[in-house]
Amino acid sequence: MDYLKKYPKLFQWLFLLIIFFALCFSIDVPETYKFIRGQAEFVKDPNQSTYVFLGKEVRYYAFDVFWRLPPLLGWLPIWINDSLFFLMNEWMPMEFWNEDTQEYKTRPLVLEISRTLTSFMTFLIFLIRETLLGGLETIVAFTSWDWIDKNPWAELPGLPWTIVAAGFAILAYKLSGKGLAIFAGLVMVYISIFGQWKPSMQTLSFILVAAPLSFIFGLGLGVAAYKSKRVEKALYPILLVMQTMPQYAVLVPALVLFGVGDHAAVIITMIVAVPPMILLTLLGLRAVPPEVIEAGRMSGCNNWQLMTKVLIPTARRDILIGVNQVIMVCFSMAVISAFIGAKGLGFNLLLALNQLNIGLALEAGLCISLIAILLDKMSLAWANKQTDYFGNLTFYQRNKNSLFFGASVIIGIILAYVGTFIFKDTFNYLFEVPHNKGISTADFWNKGVDWIFDTFFVYIKAFNTWLIVEVLQPMRALYLRMPAVATLVLVVGAGYLIGGIRSALVVFGLTLFIALSPWWDRALVTTYMATFGVIMSCAIGFTVGTLCFQSKRAAAFMLGVCDIFQTFPSFVYLIPVMMLFGITDTSVLIAVIVYATIPATRYTIEGLRSVPAGLHDAATMSGVNKFQRLTKIEFPLAFPHMMLGLNQTIVFALFMVIIGAFIGTEDLGQYILKALSDKNGAGIGLTLGICVAFIGLIFDNLIRTWVGQRKKHLGID
Amino acid sequence: MLKENYQNRIKELPESIRQFAGLVIVTIIVISFFFILNVMFGEGDELVEKMKIEEERIAQEKKLSELISKLPSGILVTFDGTDHYKLTDDIYEQVCKATKLIPQRAIMGANFLNYRAHEIYTINGNKIDDTFVKWDKEENKCFAGFTVSGDNVGVNESITVSGEALSFLSTGIDTRVYFIKNF
Repeated sequence: MDYLKKYPKLFQWLFLLIIFFALCFSIDVPETYKFIRGQAEFVKDPNQSTYVFLGKEVRYYAFDVFWRLPPLLGWLPIWINDSLFFLMNEWMPMEFWNEDTQEYKTRPLVLEISRTLTSFMTFLIFLIRETLLGGLETIVAFTSWDWIDKNPWAELPGLPWTIVAAGFAILAYKLSGKGLAIFAGLVMVYISIFGQWKPSMQTLSFILVAAPLSFIFGLGLGVAAYKSKRVEKALYPILLVMQTMPQYAVLVPALVLFGVGDHAAVIITMIVAVPPMILLTLLGLRAVPPEVIEAGRMSGCNNWQLMTKVLIPTARRDILIGVNQVIMVCFSMAVISAFIGAKGLGFNLLLALNQLNIGLALEAGLCISLIAILLDKMSLAWANKQTDYFGNLTFYQRNKNSLFFGASVIIGIILAYVGTFIFKDTFNYLFEVPHNKGISTADFWNKGVDWIFDTFFVYIKAFNTWLIVEVLQPMRALYLRMPAVATLVLVVGAGYLIGGIRSALVVFGLTLFIALSPWWDRALVTTYMATFGVIMSCAIGFTVGTLCFQSKRAAAFMLGVCDIFQTFPSFVYLIPVMMLFGITDTSVLIAVIVYATIPATRYTIEGLRSVPAGLHDAATMSGVNKFQRLTKIEFPLAFPHMMLGLNQTIVFALFMVIIGAFIGTEDLGQYILKALSDKNGAGIGLTLGICVAFIGLIFDNLIRTWVGQRKKHLGID
Repeated sequence: MLKENYQNRIKELPESIRQFAGLVIVTIIVISFFFILNVMFGEGDELVEKMKIEEERIAQEKKLSELISKLPSGILVTFDGTDHYKLTDDIYEQVCKATKLIPQRAIMGANFLNYRAHEIYTINGNKIDDTFVKWDKEENKCFAGFTVSGDNVGVNESITVSGEALSFLSTGIDTRVYFIKNF
């Protein structure tokens, strides 16, 4: 009884676990139940039950509800498809002027908006792409094909790679100094001589359209949310879901609305990139001290002036961090959007992975990663750069970078012209190194992969088999063996114990949505894979983070490594694991572990760093040794921060598991991938995406609530 | 007053006990929710039984189709005196059970001896209402038949023609009734 009074929470948790296991053991798997079977689709069986909702018929196997809930949301994907079809083809037909046929044509409003948006995006992409690489489309947009036939000189020539490289180096120098300038120059030279110039510029053109537009929309919506509570409340659920929604899933409805190609990729990238921009704008504006706002008002600012002259400049750093996030999201989307036909490095990477040409994939992946690191560093440098308002500079000092760039343009043009003579019978390498005409290390890497397979095949296979047979399969079976009622009781009970009735209701709603969808089994497989990844990542991340924290240099180095790894687009992680483990679940899980270890490590170091120095001194004065200090003071205080790392780890793991479907897993991701190639896949893709987002949000809700309470308890909020 | 008293009593309970009670209530609510849904949607054992029967049927069908694929293509007979493949008693039964189709040739052959059935069949555009092939355990014979119905000079008629299925046609993929002895 004393124990009960002393540790009430422990007993509550024990009670919950007893109920959970009692339910698991008392509910048997129905004899004829087949795991991982889509219940309401494809199969037509007289034993299925049916129901009709909103005019949509859903078929399902009515097993014991305690075991699996019926797919009462099975109508949702069909309804989404039909609604999209209705919007695109029937809703509000209107007369629109057609430039090509010079007559009015009747078209549904949404279709017209989508087509207008599409052509605008295509124009912007071509404008930037042809400025960098040359072409006709932009000029034709203002004139006609007949005109361009008569005036062939009017074609945009494109910029020699030397000018772009010099431009990047000068910009990097202006933002951060010599180090970044040298890095920028080397990256550009590497891209060029390895023959990746054209795809890189294609990717860059796509990012140069998506990033500024995402910035404008994100900033606008962030400001609107700051000004109006209603807007904020309306945006909040969308932002929440978008944070955990796999980017893959957003692609599917985009296909229906905007078709295939770069323009669709830009729009979908914006949808994914705008939420972090809104959040960081809101964060920045909220952090502006009231004194600053008051000073602005006292100076006679009206609302517009207050926003543009006071609030936004004061929140500049956070807003620019938002720009950094936007750029990073754009890069991760550069690869994913290759699935819907975006050209560039992502497309090449995907193609190489499809052909299992690890060497080519590595080259493309390295290029994406290098550009991502470069733009990450440049945008961060921009965010941290302070404008010198008081420096008394000469004209040369003020404009030296522009002058240098002007000079480099002239030199670049001269070099390209000279190149026409030097490389008379071949490609002008001083203008552009054509794709696949540069140096290639693909053969070397491919041979390396072969060598690894030849040399270590036995060991890799043994490890693979052991992992799959002894660890993964039993764990998967355990997850799938959980009856729906037991899972709901466990999740809702955990929600109640952690955050009270409100939290219990939230997680109940989220879990119920997944349980009522036709993909509960697959959601369990996704959760099992993510759980395995998270456990391993946390074990590695917490250990590495704690060890690195012992030395300031090691901690700084590890944070730098985390920074770099975080900039890699998630697809890149699949390359080395495919090199080692081929196309298996092990590959996906190792990619998950590597990817998800980053936040676990980073938050451990940052959490341990956040422990006040005074407490260290107090502990030392009390005579505790290093180990005692770590376990009794630093860990308990850093634990809430580390749990936020766990939260991020879960989101990262979920993203990677979904991307892993590309290799071939049996989870929700595989269905999302299937939905991409299905003309009626928009509803399925979106519903599956929401399911994955909800898995993330369940953990997010539980962890954040727990962290909030813990921080309050420790008085460190 | 009574209600307030209860509320006060609950409020006076220690936090841990209140929380535990809350947990129990939450658990009961979730389980009850499932119970209600089970009453509304769950078929439980009934469905399992149905599915088992279906699975058995599929397994049986698979077995039979395996057998059929092993039979020679062409006409399979149950009697002596022809060059066609003669079925043993066992296989005759299995082929009978596996056969679903009665092609037009067999129908027209049977109709040959049933003038009214032939007339209805011809007038109504060779329409067949129903066909059956079944094994008669008592007689150890395979019976096949069909029903023709329709308008015959202003009168709506329905005639069932049936008889012993004496031979079958094996296509290599399935078997069909080849000859119905209805005399």
